[in-house]
Formats: sequence, C-alpha cells, structure tokens
Amino acid sequence: MGDGVKRVSDLEWEVPVGFTPGMRVPGRFFLSEGLRRSLEPGAIQQLANVATMPGIVKNALAMPDIHWGYGFPIGGVAAFDISTGVISPGGVGFDINCGVRLLATPLAVKDLANRRELVERLYDAVPTGVGAKAPLRLSNRELEEMMVSGSRWAVEHGYGVARDIDRCEERGAMKGADPSQVSQKAKQRGFPQSGTLGSGNHFLEIQEVKEVYDQKAAAILGVERGQVTVMIHCGSRGLGHQVCTDHLRALETATKKYGITLPDRQLACAPVASPEGKAYFGGMAAAANYAWANRQVITDLTRKVLSKLYGISAESMPLVYDVCHNVAKMEVHTVDGKETQLCVHRKGATRAFGPGSPDLPAEFAETGQPVIIPGSMGTPSFLLCGTKVAMEKTFGSTCHGAGRVTSRTQAKKGMRGKDIRDQLAEQGIIVKAPSEASIAEEAPAVYKPSEEVVRVVDAVGISRLVAKLVPLGVIKG
Amino acid sequence: MTYEVLEHTADLRFRVRAPSLAGAFAEAARAISETMAPNCRPAGVVRRIELGADDTEELLADFLSEILFLADAEGIAFCTFEVGIAGNRLTATARGEEFDRERHRGGAEIKGISYSGLSIKEEGESYVLEFIADV
Repeated sequence: MGDGVKRVSDLEWEVPVGFTPGMRVPGRFFLSEGLRRSLEPGAIQQLANVATMPGIVKNALAMPDIHWGYGFPIGGVAAFDISTGVISPGGVGFDINCGVRLLATPLAVKDLANRRELVERLYDAVPTGVGAKAPLRLSNRELEEMMVSGSRWAVEHGYGVARDIDRCEERGAMKGADPSQVSQKAKQRGFPQSGTLGSGNHFLEIQEVKEVYDQKAAAILGVERGQVTVMIHCGSRGLGHQVCTDHLRALETATKKYGITLPDRQLACAPVASPEGKAYFGGMAAAANYAWANRQVITDLTRKVLSKLYGISAESMPLVYDVCHNVAKMEVHTVDGKETQLCVHRKGATRAFGPGSPDLPAEFAETGQPVIIPGSMGTPSFLLCGTKVAMEKTFGSTCHGAGRVTSRTQAKKGMRGKDIRDQLAEQGIIVKAPSEASIAEEAPAVYKPSEEVVRVVDAVGISRLVAKLVPLGVIKG
Repeated sequence: MTYEVLEHTADLRFRVRAPSLAGAFAEAARAISETMAPNCRPAGVVRRIELGADDTEELLADFLSEILFLADAEGIAFCTFEVGIAGNRLTATARGEEFDRERHRGGAEIKGISYSGLSIKEEGESYVLEFIADV
C-alpha cells in the first residue's frame, strides 16, 4: 500500500487530503487483504488526482476492482455538485456505456446436449472482433433516432420485446442525449457497427445458475438454480470512442478557459453547466443510448439462435437487467441530510440503487436494483442487488467486474491461447474467438478472483449477493 | 527506429525511440496499426493527414486518434508512415491495404489514446515517446 494511505476499517481505506497537492476531499476505497497485493500505486495516485477536481462531493471513491487506468482509476466513482462541479470524459472513458446484460432462458443444462453447436451458431450470428460488420443498414435519420431512444428504438424496429425496455438502467435511454454533439466522424464509425460485439474483454457467454444465495430476490429477478442464462458484455463501439476523443479535445481547451488546474490532462473537464460541459453530456448520452441499442440488437440475434435450436420463444427469454459501467449521470443523492443534484461519474463501476429507489421498476422496489458482475472466461459471474448502504456510502455504486492483475503483454508471453482453450474445454467450457491471442489476453488467470471482489462489496454492504453464474460457452471478440 | 510495449495492467503502454521527432511519430503510428491489424503490407491504399495542435503532446494524440479513425471508419490496415512536423503542424502519408478479417486476424481494437502517461522527451540523440492506448 502507498505511503500515507490509512486503514479506516477491515475493508475500507482512506487516501487523506495532502496525499497529492490540491486534493479537495479524501479518497476512499474498499479492499480486502487478499486483493491488496494486486493494487498498483498508480491506481491510488489516480484516485488522489480525482479528489483535486472542482466541486467534488464527499470522497473520490474506488470499488474493490480498482486498478490503474487513465484519468480516473478503473473502479472509480466521483460525484460533482451540478452548480459548482465539473464533468469529465476522463471519468467515463473511451467506451461510453460499456455494460452488461443478463438474459434468462427456460432451459436447463441438460437441454444443451449440442452445446458446441450452440456456441458455433452464436459466433456466426453475432459479429465479433476487429472489422466485424453489422447486420443493420442504418440511414442518418435512423442513427439519430437510435441515439435518442436507445433500447426503445431497437425494440420498435423489431429487435426485442417491450418488457426489455423496463429492464434496462435508465429504461435503455438517457435523457438529454444530443445527436448534434456527435460528430460526423463518430457517426461514420457508428453506421457499420451497431449490433457488433467488438474485441478486447467484450464477450457473450452461456452460463448456468450454479448457486442461489437469496431465494426471494432470485425469484423476483427471475432466476433459479440450474437455469441457463446468457450474459452480453459490450459498449458503444467506434461511435462512443470517437465521441470521447472529440470532446476530450474540446474540454482540454475548456479546462484552460475556466482556469482549472489538473494533475493529469486526461482529467480535462468543464463546469457541468457550461456550454462545453453540456455539449459533452449531450454527446455522451447519445453514445450511451447507441450502446443500449447495440446490446438490444445482439440480444435479438442471440434469442433467434436459441429459438431456432431449442424451439423456445423470445418471450420465454426475458431480460433480467442491463447495467452500464462507464457513464456520467445526473442524479439526486442525500448529502449531509440534504437532497443534492449531482453529476455522478462511474468509470468501471456499476450503479447499485437500493430498495425503494424511484428510478427502479416497481417489481424491484423490495430487492433494489439488479447488479450484474461479469467474471472472465473461466471464472464465475454474479448477480447482486443494490442496497441502502450503497446510497449512503458510494452514491449508489458498486464494482463492475473482476479487474485485471496481469497485463496483456505478460498474458501473451506466459500463456498460449490453445492451452487455455484446452484447459477450459476440460472444465466443460467451450470458447470460440477470432484468434488464439485474444484468448490468451483474456485468460482467467489475468483477472482478480471475481469471488473475492463480490465478497468484499457484499461484506461492505454496498450490494448484496443473489446468485452465482458459471460459464458453459463463450464467444469473444 | 523501434517500439516496445511496456507493462500496464489494463491497457497497452508503448515506448517509441527514433532519431527525429517526425520519425518517432511515424513509429508510434506503426505501433498502434500493427496492434490493430498484424501482417499488413502496403498495397495501394494511401491517406494523407494534415493536423495542427496547441502543443506537441496534443499533436501526437490527435495524429494517433486520426489513424484510429481512418482505420476503423474506412476499414484500412496501415503499415508505413511518412511524417513531417513543422512547429505544431503535421503532415503525414499513411500507406496500407484494405482490412481483411482473415489476413489481419489476431489484432485488438484500440479505443483511444490517453493523455495519462503521454510524454515526449529528448534523450541524447533520440526522441522518446510514451503513450497509453485503451484496448
């Protein structure tokens, strides 16, 4: 642990004001002994850097999957007062609304006798990897409508069922999206990529619900032990990357204009209410909505494969929930007893609103918001629920995944894709990817153990474990 | 001229060394292009790039971002770059071929070039650039 970092309790740590010059609030993060070894000093420095940004409220926070990123650390959460604070693409990242969704199915593992064929067919149906082309042909008007309506656009165009919309964070469309803040370059990248998975850590996984920790919540969420589920992890593709690149450039200029001093240029920002801040928010929300439509189209491609192979209907494969983990949102939180309008940045962190939140569908009033935490190819994923404690401690936020511990370069040096594929096959997990290298880069051993990360968020109380999902088959980009 | 990939847990961190600043920029462009599309050969696709920026760091970020844009939007695998730099203005000629999923298999998409960890230094007779690419 870096010098000066203080232990607050068993699982909570503080980076005090003064750790780096200009800090306005302390940094705070959650970590167990088991996860301490993998924490890079660069990640703590990045958390301290976030604490220097104007208008930051209470703490710069990081979840137990904290690791060294760019701008914010990955796993970082920060809330800014909307009248005195800033908005920054460095707190969202290039892949705006990278996120995860979970589909339930009426199938049990015994129904998947032809599992290899299922993986092959999904790989053929869902465009994956560098240069993959979309199944959709969009007009300029359709792309603009998609950026405003998100999941709803996709459902209205035949890529899903009405209930899918209610099962997405923000009902699959952020308000305030402004397609005029999405450049022609970004649109050009967006046209051919809607309905594509991408590469890197993005995946589509067939899973089994292996354990249920909370029967009541699982029943409300619509999952039970032994059931087959499908998890989809992807984001806003080249459109979102370009929106970030374009606005980062504009906000670099704005940072100087508003006289803001920052320790890292990637934290370039502008006041939330400034023209530059509003422009970024409008473009970012449009890209976020594009990502929801993207995941909705992939959902439809997936359902069609399952329908054809197993004779089941789309309605029998409901969406459990869809969460985003790279985004900035306008939210109301209670700060020092007062309701306050905040711009909450989550970069590699998931919203985890507690029971009774007005932003959730009525069926989740008792459970809190479903939270989906993906593992890696060989390790389990988890379904959790948001809590009251998260509302008090972390602006309603929790972790987003396992978090890497080994670099991609080291992974490729130390492991062969073929060996990993064979090892996973021995465990009954079938992997299909465009290359061996992409399997080695994302091997199970390069991630922190997902079990330990979710154990910490459950123990701290910022979310509550509901079920464990284990992989059966994976397609990777 | 050469580039190396340094340790970074989540993303790709590159270090490039060349006798001139323009040569280092060209090598940085080659580093990201080879990451996205290995086995590229210059086969008739040529793009010219002209850019201006407020400082050299911004010029590097803008140049590499432009390569990412052209590669992604137009489906190009790039492999050779000629770069000229005068003050904070850059002109470049990028050569490559049409991206082919079979031929260029095994690459990784780069989402963006970060200012975190971006540095440009003169070391003796060489220019050394470092930058982090989000993958």
